[in-house]
Amino acid sequence: MSDARHHVIIGSGVAGNQAAETLRARDPDSRITMVTVSRLPFFNRYDLPRVFRGERDWRRFVIYPAEYYRRNRIALRRATKVVAVDSINQTLTLQHKETIHFDTLLVASGARSYLPEELSEYRPLLLGFGAFHEAVQVAETLPKRGHVIMLGGDTIGLDLARTLIELRHRVTLLADDYTFWPHEVSEADRPRYIAALRNMGFEVIEAKERGSLAAVSQGAPGLPARRLVFKDGSELHGDVVMPFFGNVPILDFMIGSGVDIERGLLVRPDLRTTHENIYAAGDNCQIWTDSVRRYCFYHGWKNVRAMGELAARNITGANEAWTPQHDESLRLTADGKILSPFWEYQ
Amino acid sequence: MNTDVQIAIVGSAGDGTIAAGDILRRAMAEIGYRVISFDLYPAEIRGFGKCIARLRVSDEQAYSLKQKSDILVSLDDSHAIPHVGEAREWGAVIYETNSVNPLPEGAHLSAHIDPGQVPYNVPIRELAEKSTGAARSRNIVVVGYIIGLMRLPLEPALRALTGKFKGKGEIAQKNEAALRAGYEEGLRWFRLDDIEFGPPPAQERGAHLEMINGNAAIVRGALDAGIDTFFGYPITPATSIMERLASEMPKRGARLVQTEDEIAAISATLGAGFAGARAATATSGPGLSLMAEMLGFGVIAEVPSVVFVSQRGGPSTGMPTKHEQSDLNMAVFGGHGDAPRIVIAPTNVEGCYRCAGRAFEMAEAYQTPVIVLLDLYLSNRYETVPFPDRPPFEADTNRYADTRGGAAGFQRYVLTADGVSPRSTPGQPGGMHVATGLEHNELGRPNDQPDMHLAQSRKRHEKLKAALRHPGFEPAKRFGDTGAVDVGLVAWGSSFGECLEAMYLAQEEGIRCAALKVLMISPFPVEMATSFLADCKEVLVPEVNYQGQFAGILQMQVPRAVTRMTRIPCAPMRVEEILDEIRRLAGRVVEPQAA
Amino acid sequence: MGEIRPVYLEDKLKEVEDSGRLDYRSKALPTWCPGCGYFSIVEAVATALCELGIPNENAVMVSGIGCSSRFPFFINTYGIHTLHGRALPSALGVKTANPALTVVAVGGDGDGFAIGGGHVPHAARRNLDITYLLFDNGIYGLTKGQTSPTSAIGFKTPTSPYANPDRPLNPLLMLLSYGASWVGQSYAGDPEHLRSMVRQALEHRGFSYLHILSPCVTFDKTHRTYVNLGMQVHPLPATHDPADKLAAMGEAMKNEQAPAVGLYYREQRPTLDDALDALVEKAGGEKRGLRGGRGRKLR
Repeated sequence: MSDARHHVIIGSGVAGNQAAETLRARDPDSRITMVTVSRLPFFNRYDLPRVFRGERDWRRFVIYPAEYYRRNRIALRRATKVVAVDSINQTLTLQHKETIHFDTLLVASGARSYLPEELSEYRPLLLGFGAFHEAVQVAETLPKRGHVIMLGGDTIGLDLARTLIELRHRVTLLADDYTFWPHEVSEADRPRYIAALRNMGFEVIEAKERGSLAAVSQGAPGLPARRLVFKDGSELHGDVVMPFFGNVPILDFMIGSGVDIERGLLVRPDLRTTHENIYAAGDNCQIWTDSVRRYCFYHGWKNVRAMGELAARNITGANEAWTPQHDESLRLTADGKILSPFWEYQ
Repeated sequence: MNTDVQIAIVGSAGDGTIAAGDILRRAMAEIGYRVISFDLYPAEIRGFGKCIARLRVSDEQAYSLKQKSDILVSLDDSHAIPHVGEAREWGAVIYETNSVNPLPEGAHLSAHIDPGQVPYNVPIRELAEKSTGAARSRNIVVVGYIIGLMRLPLEPALRALTGKFKGKGEIAQKNEAALRAGYEEGLRWFRLDDIEFGPPPAQERGAHLEMINGNAAIVRGALDAGIDTFFGYPITPATSIMERLASEMPKRGARLVQTEDEIAAISATLGAGFAGARAATATSGPGLSLMAEMLGFGVIAEVPSVVFVSQRGGPSTGMPTKHEQSDLNMAVFGGHGDAPRIVIAPTNVEGCYRCAGRAFEMAEAYQTPVIVLLDLYLSNRYETVPFPDRPPFEADTNRYADTRGGAAGFQRYVLTADGVSPRSTPGQPGGMHVATGLEHNELGRPNDQPDMHLAQSRKRHEKLKAALRHPGFEPAKRFGDTGAVDVGLVAWGSSFGECLEAMYLAQEEGIRCAALKVLMISPFPVEMATSFLADCKEVLVPEVNYQGQFAGILQMQVPRAVTRMTRIPCAPMRVEEILDEIRRLAGRVVEPQAA
Repeated sequence: MGEIRPVYLEDKLKEVEDSGRLDYRSKALPTWCPGCGYFSIVEAVATALCELGIPNENAVMVSGIGCSSRFPFFINTYGIHTLHGRALPSALGVKTANPALTVVAVGGDGDGFAIGGGHVPHAARRNLDITYLLFDNGIYGLTKGQTSPTSAIGFKTPTSPYANPDRPLNPLLMLLSYGASWVGQSYAGDPEHLRSMVRQALEHRGFSYLHILSPCVTFDKTHRTYVNLGMQVHPLPATHDPADKLAAMGEAMKNEQAPAVGLYYREQRPTLDDALDALVEKAGGEKRGLRGGRGRKLR
């Protein structure tokens, strides 16, 4: 190993890749290692609905070619899970028992979709949408003009639903508190937004109206593949059931690291955690925001990317504080549709 | 869709690397694909050296391995790490995800996978332990995993597995469990690579496909040609010819004796040939050196005999476990005096079978020793060979003399138009004669008169020319573009495979290119070579020896300038290197290769 | 040995012609020096073949290189005159290819125990069913008189002008320890004894080794002459039991003083052919006739 500083980034999403790019530019001689559980290189997850338009080659979703990583000397370690971080020795341990020393660590591990406890027993009957192969699986399971039942909603689900509706699939949304996650929609505003969804072609069922979901099961022969039963005894049949209950930070490996965690990693405005060489960026961290006197999450890709860049700048000697780059509030358009700032990616 | 997938499995001795490769290639052959496969063993007999099993699976029989593998499997990261670059872009790298011991940074394979390659981090050990109770079957798990991942049928792999470990009860059950566990796991995985297996090609009629290596093909050819006796002395890499014959020959009533040395082996072979047997021996370079004198006896006494020679690195003891093609001069010219003999060199495993059988025909028909020249690579490499249901070899190609009532003494070496004298063998009344290493007259009596020496020398040389037209044997064959070409390759033995591969790649780049495969090196197919060379603007002669021995023989027979490409990498020549030479000769700009 | 009686030429010729053994002599006349002991070996072999009724075409004389190795040219059977030292492995090939043949390997002391010494133990231990006639004149005759592995200490030759310092080998002792199943010695100067011994050797089923002492009349005027040998050679004691290997070895040791002729050792045990046939049976194969003349099966 050379004397060059070793910057390790956990996560290869928007924040991690932006950080790597900035680190390489500001510290040309350093070693940069990016560790990710994903088997794919950084791909555009906002573009996943294209899978339903017939695009199944994951390479077409990849943002940087392999050559980019070679040229920038970014060691990209995919399919690699971090199991522990030792902030005292500045090492991280990987699932396959390899230990990596870091001079600086940026935790940009992002978040994974959340499945409420009461639904976990139905997991085998539900289809996720977080990873590329899950998108492919949904696309391959869903028949032509098939019926998708979305539980919850969230902006990822709603985005997918827009494509599905456009492709003449039927989408039933079982709306609840997560429907507009992570946007906060007040009780007063909610009917307008639900109406907007109906206007966009969603069939919306407010879960509460049916006493919420009682069970998910295989559909009877001749009927669609899935059957939902509500507590009021009513039923709903669909080809695919997909849960969308927002995301939770991926931080299991940080437990016991000595770094403060609440729901996400707690970071100062310069994105430094409670350890001086460990930083965080993206939707796995909560940034101290003086104006509201609390730690805040930011989810939108523009903010996440800005966080990656800021963390990298501060790792390499800058001392700048975070300011949100983008308004993350949900909007209603003039023609009565909703528009989330998270839906467009450049 | 065309199938052309290469799989490399890297491990250490004791991991079952070679066994895994063997099951996999047998499974592929069972499915109906054509396979070519070459294993790399550690030089040490025991220990924990590096082993690599490589197999290329395709629709049509490939002549060589590819430079890059589509699937690379690690059973031992310390050995596999230097080979990770062998997996192509978008190819699959399969490795163990649960290490046993803590590792320093960089000691795990995942640290070395290129962003363009697709990682498959598989809990191999866990799957083996769960399915068999022990980690030993990791290699079988991997085989199952590949079959599952590639969405290939499991049944042929099961048959290949039972074929390999037949009748071992509990072990067989465990292996099957491991194979199934790996298969199920493979099926579960989402494919990110772009490797494709198309439907297997239709089977040839009147033949059955078998997975076999060069030495085994030699054995099969010898058996199908009706070999009567074999005398040999163990030597790497020819030993397995004798070993296999030792178990097969008695089943056919034929006889094999392990002699005290190679001199005894060739002496007994000629003794048996003299007695009328189809007789053969097998050796490597050092043994061939020892046999040189007796081969001269075979030439002058005109005794049919076959010598299989599998070359290895030389001179002297050289490198017994490394590949080289440096015994060509020894085979063609070895020994003293004007001693012409037939030397044929197959270029692939199927060729080993055909050359072995034809060698016995030629030995009898032209009454001479025939050397079949293989090399370590060809001896040990596996290919699918479509064996004809009926052996294509003539059982007896002797020209016998009618010796009834011949009181005047039998003229064993009578001068004839084509140089072949009708022979007699012991047991044949009236045919008594002495086969001698002395120059002799037509009766076989010692004679050192100039006229007789000239006449007998001419006869010994002229009679071999007919071998160039031996039925069912093509001494040379042209591949690639017809007519005038920018670059023509002339190649022999196993390196022809790499040349052909390079030629195809050059053609894809728009270079007019052809290749001449020379199977018979002595006597040399001068006419074919002359007309081929006339078509070539540039001639490239790649071979795995330092001197350019084949190029020397070529230029001796057809004088003209050729580019000698001699490499001694202790392994088959690299296709990429040959391709670069072709590009250079075709006037293309070639990027200098990184050291 | 025994009573001396006159021999009349006419009687002798008649006896020879009637015997049929001339059929076993080739038309080529031996090229050996007049007085060479080898002439009597040709006669002994021809006579033995004739007496045993072995058809000419079913016998093969195999030799290497040396004066004695010219032997096949003088016998009317098949012959193979191979390379220096390679008579035994060549004979192995002939016999293995066609076990129905009577195979006789012949050669000198240099051919058999210098250059070819590595082959002798293996032919013996395998009990290859051939007869090996070793013509021992203690010298290299063909190359004009150099020392051989059986030359005496003190023998002066062109390659040992200051006298040979090396111990001679004891071939009989070697062959006994190698496991030859028939070991005998005879003397070229006693044609009657030689004929009898050659015949016994041919009759033995297994590897029979007959050591034949013979003078080189041209290049050895001092050691192994007819005169010296005539004085030294004596029969084995009448009490010697050829089944007793240790006794045979003891007698062989005494050879270093004065050679005794006769049958030293004899045993019956399976031959290489038997072993190879047993292999075929074990492998479930079918014993088959091997190729003979015109592809005929001889067995």
